[in-house]
Amino acid sequence: MSTSGPTPPGKPQTRALNCPGCGAALTVRSFNNAVTIVCDSCHSILDAKDPNLQILQQFKAATDKDRPLIPLGTRGKIRGTDYEVIGFERRTIHVEGVAYSWHEYVLFNPYKGFRYLTEYDGHWNDCSTLKALPDVVSFSSPPKVKYLGETYKHFQTARASTSFVLGEFPWQVRVGESVEVSDYVSPPRVLSSEQTGNEVTWSMGEYMLGKDVWKAFRLSGSPPEAQGVYENQPSPMSGEVKSIWLTFAFLLLALVVLMIGFDLSAQNKEVFTGYYKYDSNQRGEASFVTDDFEVKGHTSNVELKTTTDLNNRWIYLNYALINETTGQAFDFGREVSFYHGYDSDGSWSEGSANDTVAVPSVPPGRYYLRVEPEGDPAYGMTYYTITVKRDVPQYSFYGIALGALLLPAILLSWRALSFEHLRWAESDHPMITTSGGDE
Amino acid sequence: MRVLYILYGSAVLVGLSIAQYQGWSLARVNEVKNVPRSVRDNPGSYRSVYSSYHHYTGGK
Repeated sequence: MSTSGPTPPGKPQTRALNCPGCGAALTVRSFNNAVTIVCDSCHSILDAKDPNLQILQQFKAATDKDRPLIPLGTRGKIRGTDYEVIGFERRTIHVEGVAYSWHEYVLFNPYKGFRYLTEYDGHWNDCSTLKALPDVVSFSSPPKVKYLGETYKHFQTARASTSFVLGEFPWQVRVGESVEVSDYVSPPRVLSSEQTGNEVTWSMGEYMLGKDVWKAFRLSGSPPEAQGVYENQPSPMSGEVKSIWLTFAFLLLALVVLMIGFDLSAQNKEVFTGYYKYDSNQRGEASFVTDDFEVKGHTSNVELKTTTDLNNRWIYLNYALINETTGQAFDFGREVSFYHGYDSDGSWSEGSANDTVAVPSVPPGRYYLRVEPEGDPAYGMTYYTITVKRDVPQYSFYGIALGALLLPAILLSWRALSFEHLRWAESDHPMITTSGGDE
Repeated sequence: MRVLYILYGSAVLVGLSIAQYQGWSLARVNEVKNVPRSVRDNPGSYRSVYSSYHHYTGGK
């Protein structure tokens, strides 16, 4: 939001005055510095530079009255300087037939001059006029300006009209007067230009929390809750996204180092191989046990690989890895099937003639396998090989860990993007445009 | 936030290290205690919990 141009402040004077419109006593807080005064009773706009307080404009405030959240005359400390609220106005823009209004408070300090507070839907900005002009960044889309080394992106341009005034102003204020306002944002700051004819005034605003305004002016109660996302509201995720992705890069590096470390230190040792055949036509007990074998080292996995000559067939193998000494068994079943063919869609295949499974957390000891094959009696003979390996790295865990590390970074980035999407949705440059969009 | 993420990421990596060292697996395996020694001589006396598994019968 923006403010109109200032008048250099002078030493404050007080004088007993009455409104020429209604006769009510006027409280004048910055007499020599105000250009216009608005009567608190009849809302007549008076020429403060005229000794007789000539009435410049009379407007009907009864139906359109607005009450300042910070009462006129309230004193507070902004950036270490005491200021008094001397003026209040409401300004309105119309976008696609919808009216949006915000409030501006004129603050005055006899030595520091004027500054302004703006409020829209619970969002506050501390504003002051610029002493130098921003530089326009050439060939930028959307338009950008640069001020004190910081680049500001164009947010919105609209025609703003003054719809309510109260108190004192350092410019010739009128209800109904309108200016073209352009806002350029670089959260938490905003640069605003106000153009009337050939005259352009620039101001800078910095986002303030309502509770900080309340604290500065020692106001009772609590400020109105901020609604939605404001144009220069700093993102709560600002700076966090870059930081979290940088941390992710370090964690990913640690993950790779762990993977290399476990790969190099794993036994990955073959401890048993057996060649078998299964005749599904043959009746009787199909189960058998293998020779025993030694599983060494700390408690770790045992990988069992079944290699078959299956061709458009299946075989089911009930396995039990049994510790010869303790009687502890790891019981599991594996179906191996491989089918392939050719149809109107072309060639196809399904399954595999080989199967691998990792038996988890197997303590060291002497083991044997109990194997019970099953198959369709029509298939006949199946040849298969069983290979057992000790302490084999499981890469699926690296995938799960990678996903777990990525998840918070992706969620935070998504939240940050959603925040920016909401910010720019109200601008002239929304991030996502609809077919009837205005960009 | 960064500190929380570092703590979370470290926990993930510690969990991964334990899983790799202990040889965890995603496979469905049933652990059975005190299998009798007689199974060595009579494999048919052992009944696998997976023996009633519904087998695939198919192809495309």
